[in-house]
Order: sequence, then structure tokens, then C-alpha cells
Amino acid sequence: MSEVDSKFNIRDYLREHMFPHFLCPGCGHGIALRALLWAIDELEIPKDKLAFVSGIGCSGRLGAYIDSNTFHVTHGRPLAFATGLKLARPDLEVIVITGDGDCLAIGGNHLIHACRRNLNITCMMLNNEVYGMTGGQVSPTTSSNRFTTTTPHGNYEPVFDACKLAEAAGAGMVGREITLQTPALKNVLKEGLSHNGFSFVEVMSDCTEVFGRKNELGDSAEMVLTQKSSVRPDGYDNTVEQPFRPNFLKTGVMARNDRPEYAAAYRQHIMSMKEG
Amino acid sequence: MMTELNQASSKNAQPVAQTQVAKVPVNVLIVGVGGQGVIMVSKVLASLCQQQGYEVKQSEVHGMAKRGGSVFSHVRFGEKVYSPTIPVGQADVLVALEWAEGLRWLPYLKPETGIFIADTQKIVPPFACRDRKHGAANGYAKETVADISQMISNCYAADAGTTAAELGNARAANTLLLGMLSTTLDFPESEWRDIISKFVPPKTIDINMQAFDQGREWVERYDPAALAQGQAEAGSVAQQPHQVQFELPVITEAWCKSCDICVKFCPERCLSLNENQVAELTKPELCTLCRICERLCPDFAISLNYKH
Ligand code: SF4
Ligand code: SF4
Ligand code: SF4
Repeated sequence: MSEVDSKFNIRDYLREHMFPHFLCPGCGHGIALRALLWAIDELEIPKDKLAFVSGIGCSGRLGAYIDSNTFHVTHGRPLAFATGLKLARPDLEVIVITGDGDCLAIGGNHLIHACRRNLNITCMMLNNEVYGMTGGQVSPTTSSNRFTTTTPHGNYEPVFDACKLAEAAGAGMVGREITLQTPALKNVLKEGLSHNGFSFVEVMSDCTEVFGRKNELGDSAEMVLTQKSSVRPDGYDNTVEQPFRPNFLKTGVMARNDRPEYAAAYRQHIMSMKEG
Repeated sequence: MMTELNQASSKNAQPVAQTQVAKVPVNVLIVGVGGQGVIMVSKVLASLCQQQGYEVKQSEVHGMAKRGGSVFSHVRFGEKVYSPTIPVGQADVLVALEWAEGLRWLPYLKPETGIFIADTQKIVPPFACRDRKHGAANGYAKETVADISQMISNCYAADAGTTAAELGNARAANTLLLGMLSTTLDFPESEWRDIISKFVPPKTIDINMQAFDQGREWVERYDPAALAQGQAEAGSVAQQPHQVQFELPVITEAWCKSCDICVKFCPERCLSLNENQVAELTKPELCTLCRICERLCPDFAISLNYKH
């Protein structure tokens, strides 16, 4: 079935009494949430079998709008909570919604260890290059030369490539997509959800009100449209240096491996202890 | 020469280029749409003919190299070839990588004896899209494979694109057509395989060889009687209108935050912000139900509901 014929209706998955949501006009996080719920709908995972864990930040708020089991936890710790949840309830499909600051700065250590353990969790990291909720401070993924409240003369710190980090730390599946390409994003998330192991999906999202305004990136529509210019489906390595990105970002599924899944190994270990 | 070719047409895919009769040049016309690989197909053929000791002349139009333009290549080979172009009504074989392009060049085929090899895949050019609504009629050629095989006795039309995609590489469709072409020209099969392997990317040789086999098998299995009754495999060229199953976009005013994304992204410009700065479907008659507005609205304020 082609995407244009999809019968997916997002309202089946929303707590409608919570709407309109608190995100700013044009914020890319809404589009990312649609893609995630769309992927879940296509995989036909029942709502009772889902558990969303989210941290702090604009991204962390998304959990509140999903009509399912949702946990809103402390800053940077959604992966830690999710690990406990998945070990206790392996029957649940545990999905973490986190942001670039939440996942790479405050929760950076949890990310690398979640990748290392390879527990069957799907982590969707919304990368808007900034701490939007707290007023626009520089984050580990802020592109070079960009203005934030804490880098008034432009950012001079190097950028974190979250996907390379996750891949090197051993994540079972790593992918990246932009919100403009919603169907492609849905497909990458679908791959992540179906992979038995830790799946890390980075979504290039737009912070229109804080980051966009500060850097004069134009209105919401313009920001969504220009996403294309910073990504390139392939040929990551042979491109010219860009002023705002270390290089063009690659999109799609970038890595996949079949390392043993942690929960299975954990259970086997418990069984052997009981028998012994 | 003529008598030989007449005999050839009476049976399925008898070689037209009998080595001993190639004193008169054999004309092969290869046509398609820019970007499909017309030039690659003709280069394979020309190199093969050259290896077999013939004089080859090839002329092509690749001025339309911009994707979507009409591209053709003339290949003439024989003991002595003077002109590089094939006159109207003189092509022994017409190979079409795209159905409508094939139809466009049919007058070049030799009457009675000419062999028409075509991929039934359709690439609808933008100017044939009169209306962008789903399922709307377009100006693409209406002739089906069954229609054409009533006019041309040697019409071999296969859905090469789909078959190649099933093998794992849609671009191998050209090799499938080469497989079909190989049954009409009297060159050893192994030479065909060697030359194709040299032209395709090394990683895809396996798939291309399978496609080549499929092309040859297709001609062997070919049954003109079934085709005339419209039961051929390639019958899929008939139009299958897209079912319109969705209602026009509905906007939940209370959820809209006036971000303008839907207004700027709608390809038909049917949306605008009203005096309350809320999105409104102002030109519903232009809406093609493409669902871009629904997908990109970050506030889930637009939905296209499924018709029950
Ligand atoms: S501050 Fe930025 S990221 Fe947060 S809701 Fe507003 S636009 Fe979105
Ligand atoms: S579905 Fe939406 S974007 Fe597409 S034509 Fe209709 S109003 Fe425009
Ligand atoms: S995209 Fe959604 S929120 Fe933005 S103007 Fe259109 S309907 Fe309103």
C-alpha cells in the first residue's frame, strides 16, 4: 500500500483532551511524533503493549500526548528507566523519546551503555541543535557558528555525530532522517521498532521559535524546506566542508548488527543461577 | 535477404541476422526515455557486433540526456555499412525500453517482418498529466499490448521493469530486453553474456545474468494467441485508476497554530490562513488529496479521513 493510501489516523493514538499541544507553532517535534505513531500503526502493535519513556525538554513532553503507557522521567535518564522497565516487562515494546541535550549531554553516559548492552529498546532522539525549553542554550549538536543564548558570538565547539557514537558503542540499528521526509522517517522508525536489539534513530527536527529565530532561519515552512540542504542520502564521505555542519549528514539506516540481545542473555543467566 | 526475413517472421523469434546473409546491413533501433540506459544497450550491441567481425555504425541522440527526454540510438551492422541512420520502415528490430516510446517509433519498423521488443513499463511524461487528481485520465498512449500485436506479428512485450525489480535490481530490465534481443540475432549466447558482464557494474553481474535468462525464457514461452485474447502477462499495461478513498482535508481550528507550513507546502495552493490566522481550505476543487498538508502539520490539525 502506498503512503498516500494509508488509513493511519493519528487521533486513534492521541489523548485528545490534552490538545492543542504545548509545542511552539511549526515545531518539528510534532511531525516526528506523527512519524513514530504511524510506524507503530503499520506494525500493528497494540496500545497496551507500548510503553513510552521520555526525559526533560520539549521532546520529553511528547509522551504526555500519546494515549498509551507513558512515563515522564528525570533529565537525561529515560534510557536508564527504560532499561529497568524492559528487563521487568519484556512483553512491552519500550520506546524512548529524547532530545539532543537530554540524550547526548545530561544522559550521554546512559546512551553509550544502552548501546553497549543492546537491550531491545527503540530510542528516538529529536535533534533540534538546542535546549529549546530552557531558553535556547548551546547543545552538543549545535552546528558551528550558530547563535544560541550561551554562544552570542557563534558556536565554536565541534558537533557531536550521535549516529556515529551509537554505532561505535554497539547499537543494533542506527538510522537518521529529516522530518520533511515523513514517510521515509516512518520507515526508518519501523526498522528500528522491528529490530531485536537497541535501535537508535536520530530525527533532524526544527526548533522554530528559539533556534530558528535566533539564527534568522526564516519561518517554519522555510526551515522545514531547508532541511534538505544539510543532508544527503549517500556520499557522506566525499563531500565538501560546509560552514554550519562538519559535513553533509547521511540519512537512512546507517548501521545494523546482530549482536546478542541483552534481555535474552540476562534471563538465561537467571535461569542458570536458579538451576545451579 | 527479404525472403530469409519473411521466413524468420513465420516462426517465433528466428534470428534475423543470419551470419551468411549479413551482407545487407541489419538495422536495430533502440529507443527509450532519458536516463533509462538506451545508450548502454546500444553500446553492448555495437561492441558485440564489432567483436563478431562486422562493420558497425551507431548514431544516437542524447541531446535529451536530461532525464525524461526521448532518446534513441540507431545500430547498423553488416559486411559494409554506409549510412549510420536507419530510414523509416527499415528497422529489422525495434527495442523499446518504454512502452509509449516504442509506439512513437513503430513507423521505423520494417512492415511485416520487423520485430518489436518492448518493456511495457510506463513513464508518464509531465505534459501528459492533464489533471493531478488521483485516478484522473492522462494523455498517455491508450494502446495495449493486445492492440499492437494485432498490428505487428512479431510483438514481444514483457514487463521487464517489474521482473527485474523482483530479481533485486530494477536497472537490470535493460539486460532482460537484451536477452529478448539475443534470440533474434544470430550471435552465440556466451558472447552476449561476456559482453554484458563487461558493461554492467561488477556487483550486479549475477542479477543481470538472471535477467538475461529471463528475457530468453520469456521469448520461448511467448504465445501470440494468448496475447491476442488479452491474457498476456503484459496485460498490466492497461490503466488501473487509483481509487479515491479519502475525503477532503478537514481542519481542526482549535489545534491550528498558524505556522503556515500547510499553506506553503500545498502543491496546489488550496490552503490559506483566514482572518483569524487559522488554516482554511479555500480552493477545495484544486485539492488532489496528496496528503502533504496532513503529514507536515506539526499540530495534527489537518486530517484526510478515510471514506467508509
Ligand atoms: S522551544 Fe523549540 S523545540 Fe521547544 S517547542 Fe518551541 S520550537 Fe519546539
Ligand atoms: S491534500 Fe493538502 S496539500 Fe495536498 S492538495 Fe489537498 S490541501 Fe493541498
Ligand atoms: S500546518 Fe497545521 S498548524 Fe500550521 S497553519 Fe497549517 S493547519 Fe495550522
